[in-house]
Amino acid sequence: MTDVFARIAWLIPCYPLVGMVLSMFWFPSLARRTGPRPAGYINLAMTGLALVHAALGFIEFGTRAPLTLELPWLQVADLTLTLPLEVSAVNLGAIVLVTSINLLAQLYAIGYLEMDWGWARFFALLALFEAGMCLLALCDSLFFSYIILEILTLGTYLLVGFWFNQSLVVTGARDAFLTKRVGDLLLLMGVLALYPIAGTWNFSELAEWAQTAEVDPTLMSLVGLALLAGPMGKCAQFPLHLWLDEAMEGPYPSTVLRNSVVVATGAWVLTKLEPVLALSPVVMATVTAIGIVTALGGTAIAIAQVDVKRSLSYLTSAYMGLVFVAVGTQQSHVAFLLLLTHALAVVALLMSTGSIVLNSISQDLTKLGGLWSRRPISGLSFVAGAAGLIAMPPLGGFWAALALINGVWEAYPVLAGILLVVNALAAFGVTRVFCLIFGNRPQQMSERSPENLWPVTLPMVFAAALTLHLPLVLQSLGLLPSFTAIDKGVALLLVISSVWGCGLGSALYLGPAAKPIRLPWTFVQNLLASDFYTPRIYRASIVGGVDIISRVVDWCDRHVVDGLVNLIGLTSLFGGEALKYGNTGKTQFYVLTIALGLLVITLFITRSFWLDFAALAGS
Amino acid sequence: MQNIEGILHLEYFLLLAAALFCIGIYGLVTSRNVVRVLMSVELLLNAVNINLMGFSNFIDPVGIRGQVFAVFVITVAAAEAAVGLAIVLAIYRNRNTVDMEQFNLLKW
Repeated sequence: MTDVFARIAWLIPCYPLVGMVLSMFWFPSLARRTGPRPAGYINLAMTGLALVHAALGFIEFGTRAPLTLELPWLQVADLTLTLPLEVSAVNLGAIVLVTSINLLAQLYAIGYLEMDWGWARFFALLALFEAGMCLLALCDSLFFSYIILEILTLGTYLLVGFWFNQSLVVTGARDAFLTKRVGDLLLLMGVLALYPIAGTWNFSELAEWAQTAEVDPTLMSLVGLALLAGPMGKCAQFPLHLWLDEAMEGPYPSTVLRNSVVVATGAWVLTKLEPVLALSPVVMATVTAIGIVTALGGTAIAIAQVDVKRSLSYLTSAYMGLVFVAVGTQQSHVAFLLLLTHALAVVALLMSTGSIVLNSISQDLTKLGGLWSRRPISGLSFVAGAAGLIAMPPLGGFWAALALINGVWEAYPVLAGILLVVNALAAFGVTRVFCLIFGNRPQQMSERSPENLWPVTLPMVFAAALTLHLPLVLQSLGLLPSFTAIDKGVALLLVISSVWGCGLGSALYLGPAAKPIRLPWTFVQNLLASDFYTPRIYRASIVGGVDIISRVVDWCDRHVVDGLVNLIGLTSLFGGEALKYGNTGKTQFYVLTIALGLLVITLFITRSFWLDFAALAGS
Repeated sequence: MQNIEGILHLEYFLLLAAALFCIGIYGLVTSRNVVRVLMSVELLLNAVNINLMGFSNFIDPVGIRGQVFAVFVITVAAAEAAVGLAIVLAIYRNRNTVDMEQFNLLKW
């Protein structure tokens, strides 16, 4: 019984769930006198408990063979649904990452939401996310992963819609829910279509099956594309990426959480599905193409944003695109590495900018500036996060990008070139944000900007420290390549692209160029700044189509279906109204009807006689 | 008798009765005066009586049950006329008219 903590790893998702339930007692409608703060403290404690459990499990488990647990869920006819949990070094590591980022984000939220009364709701939702992500990390079944993804989609809706008295929040939450739902529904199609083919939903069994599977390539392509759609929506990939932009209307701490780990849930599922997707080259090509387009588009759009939050959110889309590229070129281990480095770096970046926004109020980059001398801690955290995100040795992002490019260097040199461009653009983007916030002269909004109180600053520094320590951690886990194995040329190219991006960014935004910088082609600038006009495209295509169809159907229901039924009623009504004039009220008319009725009946009874008579007369 | 039977057939009586019945119906339906309506009813009853008498003579000359029925019909017709005229009088006292078109309280 050495791995006791790993054996009870299923308890980890339960801690935050307990926290979620307990925090509900501090809803303003229930705890009318004491205020909402204990909800935050309870959740912080629960997250700490989960983190300690996961960390102990991770340490004692080491790199042993995975442990599987099965919880029976239900059995109907010949379908047995059991929830298989896989406890492995990777899964426990992911849980450690999730819980530690949650711990940081929740401590951050305690500082950030100081003047907010909605702690109970906010922390309950954060706990729901944490529980969902921990369970997703443990879950070894595609079916249950889908269930968790759907619950997380609902959680996103509620969390983005936290301040629901703001109209943009309501539309943002709506878009986040619907866009992710569309992806999830297509994923459900794939999940359902996969079962008859593979006969199992367990990731490990699916991987075994995929090694020897002989399936119709067209069928597998369709199933693969459907499976791809879920992570596509979840990871905010083109063209299902608008929701992440609009989700920036939510509170900053939840943004930290979402951009670092929640969007990674889709990538996690995608990575686990890699063996199945690899059965169809079409699907793999699509994954790679989507990843490239999103990476290029996301970084380009990020450069043209004036909102600091949105500028970073498009970078998240872009880095999830890199994960897609890694999966599309069959490098699952690189995908995991990318997720890890991106998560930590983005936490540092977002916490730093959140700390700026908290007391500079404006999120507009053009209204900030000159904060380096008065906000050194935030500035250094930003630098750490930015350096950890782009390929800047020796930090984590460099190793992930290096592994990714090494993997595609031989087979697809063009792809490697594109990745270098993406890296340069991302470097330019973060440098631009840094220079606009911390460089130049202070502007009106940032003239008096003190460093924040400790619950905001401490997690920010911790996130920066984690980013900085990541290479050491990777080294101790044996995940870094040895110095001799590194392709020096590729490494140099990567560094050059990063340095070029950073250098150009600083030269443009710290130099004497007139700000705000205007491109000679205003059209391109506007196109990127407004996200390729994606809202308009949505409205013109899918939303418009569904709107028109639903209006037509509604009209048909109101007028054709209802009309037919009402017509029957109206006919009876008017029939009665018209036929009542048969009651003339004149006795003689009644006598006439009696006489005529008798005559008709008589003729009817005696018709055979009249027919015979007519026949006789004829002959 | 033989001679008469050679000329007169049952059908002629029946046709006469039917014609009288039709005239009676016509009068019953078209007359505006209540008394004329009652008179038309008498015509109808007389048409029936002719039928009864015709059948009685040609088909049942021994039992002549039709004639007995006719006596009853005449009796009842007299009674009905008495009651009918009484009703007409009663209405006339209230409405001051004997126009059938005016008695339409039930008009929708």
